[in-house]
Amino acid sequence: MSNKEFEQQLQNALASLPNEIQPGRDLWPGIEHALNSQAAAPAVTSSKAKPYWGMAAAVATVGLLGWLGLTQLPGISDSAQLAQVLSQQHQQQKQALLASFSGQPALTDNWQQQVDELDAAALAIKQALKEDPNNPALLKMLQQVYQQQIDLIERVHAPAWQKI
Amino acid sequence: MQTQGQLIEAKQQFAERGLHSLVDAVKQGDRQAYQTLYQQYLGQVYALCYRLTADRALAEDVTQEVFIQLWRKLDNYRGDSKFSTWLHSVTSNVCVSYMRKQRGWWHRMFNLEDSAAMYESAEASAAEVDLDSYVRRLPQRARMVFVLHAIEGYRHEEIAQMLDMAVGSSKAQFHRAKQLLSEWMGYE
Repeated sequence: MSNKEFEQQLQNALASLPNEIQPGRDLWPGIEHALNSQAAAPAVTSSKAKPYWGMAAAVATVGLLGWLGLTQLPGISDSAQLAQVLSQQHQQQKQALLASFSGQPALTDNWQQQVDELDAAALAIKQALKEDPNNPALLKMLQQVYQQQIDLIERVHAPAWQKI
Repeated sequence: MQTQGQLIEAKQQFAERGLHSLVDAVKQGDRQAYQTLYQQYLGQVYALCYRLTADRALAEDVTQEVFIQLWRKLDNYRGDSKFSTWLHSVTSNVCVSYMRKQRGWWHRMFNLEDSAAMYESAEASAAEVDLDSYVRRLPQRARMVFVLHAIEGYRHEEIAQMLDMAVGSSKAQFHRAKQLLSEWMGYE
């Protein structure tokens, strides 16, 4: 069959695509909840303070990386050890962030699975660092994974409109 | 006596006036009006999100995100274009941004492709032309470019900007999408 026939059939298929598809669940309650939280946010001091956890975590993590990159620390000889320090700090930040959002409903159902996936990614990078301990790119990747995890936890608990 | 064309036009104008009233009410903070607007456009927004993400759960999350952001962004709608056109533009941008935050890093770092999806359903869908199911099987970048260009009507220059890629890459991904579709539809 020719290319012309394919183009014709493709155009026909495009023209007959449904304009609408309905989701499998009712999305309005989640939206309404988010809009209500949005309306309430300015009056709630703790809600306003929560985004600063992420900012503090980001600044601290980047600062740590920069500091470690510029100094020769006694007892920290390669990237694997730097990763360990980074991991410890990240765990503390993550736990503090989760504690601050404790009891607050998340906007998505699968965020914990995504957090786990990022944990798995961090683990894989740390394994790679053991094989290639002097690879700064791996350390940077680890830092990015940790930052993604912090961003994710913030995003699902503190809706995105607060960042627009 | 009015022709059928005039009747259709009058009906469209009436619908458009109703829509503008609805949008104005939402801009004033009318939540009930917003729910009506949501019900009216949910199917369109979800369809676009589902086509871009190829993942029902993710598309549902993104759809929620679109309507959460739309509540605030609606002030930016001045009525210069059709509301549905503007809404599709907002949806595309929110969806691409959401996907970038969700999975973008892995794709950029490791250049992962959804190759499993490409091969899993190949046998089952060969007999019928269900374009949506074929589109969902496309690799992510090819799928997004195809949806934005062929279905949503964006130019490659616009897509390149949205997806943070070169114009040539957008064209190449579109070509790749068509090649795969051609193969799956039995033309190669």
